[in-house]
Amino acid sequence: MKNTLKVERAILNLTQEELAQKIGVSRQTINSIETNRYVPSTVLSLKLSMLFNKPVNDFFTLELKD
Amino acid sequence: MKTQRFCDGEERRLNWLITRKLPNTWKRIGWAIFIVSLVLILLNRFIDINHIVFKSILKNTMLVGLLIVIISKEKIEDELVENLRSKAFSFAFIMGVAWVLVQPLLNYLVSFLIKPQDANYQDLGDFQILWFLLIIYLTIFWFLKKRNS
Repeated sequence: MKNTLKVERAILNLTQEELAQKIGVSRQTINSIETNRYVPSTVLSLKLSMLFNKPVNDFFTLELKD
Repeated sequence: MKTQRFCDGEERRLNWLITRKLPNTWKRIGWAIFIVSLVLILLNRFIDINHIVFKSILKNTMLVGLLIVIISKEKIEDELVENLRSKAFSFAFIMGVAWVLVQPLLNYLVSFLIKPQDANYQDLGDFQILWFLLIIYLTIFWFLKKRNS
């Protein structure tokens, strides 16, 4: 699964640490999602969706191998 | 309706029991217990008190220390940490079972090759199994955390 979390974060002008604080996770979690090492839960994805004010599908997309 | 409520309550209680962890400050206490026990075990070897009860109590406190470290929360306990924990637990469990099955056999083979007349098959003790499980869990968890930082 690909994601454009880094881009969305840049649009809001947030650092990884700031974004992590806003949704109640660690900076490592944001970093792992951005580098595609970790696929977040539905709850976390919806929290991100609320923060970015966009549907989840806009920043998470399935790849062929999924 | 009543049965449904009972089942929900049971599930909540089970979930509470499974996800319960000690606060992060306990991690330091766990390490302190482990290090003090380890130092005392090493000292025991040098000054040769060699009291069997003393030694086994120290071994157990060492395991308790490591267990406290394992069941203490991280500074930020989020879903990634939970994920890494379960990965480390499953790997440690599989390695633990493999170790219990393979290690006595390896011991026997090596002693058979060196001195065939003294070779005897001996199962692992409970301390060795628990020690191995805890250490493997901590190593894998630390490695996964490092990789994700």
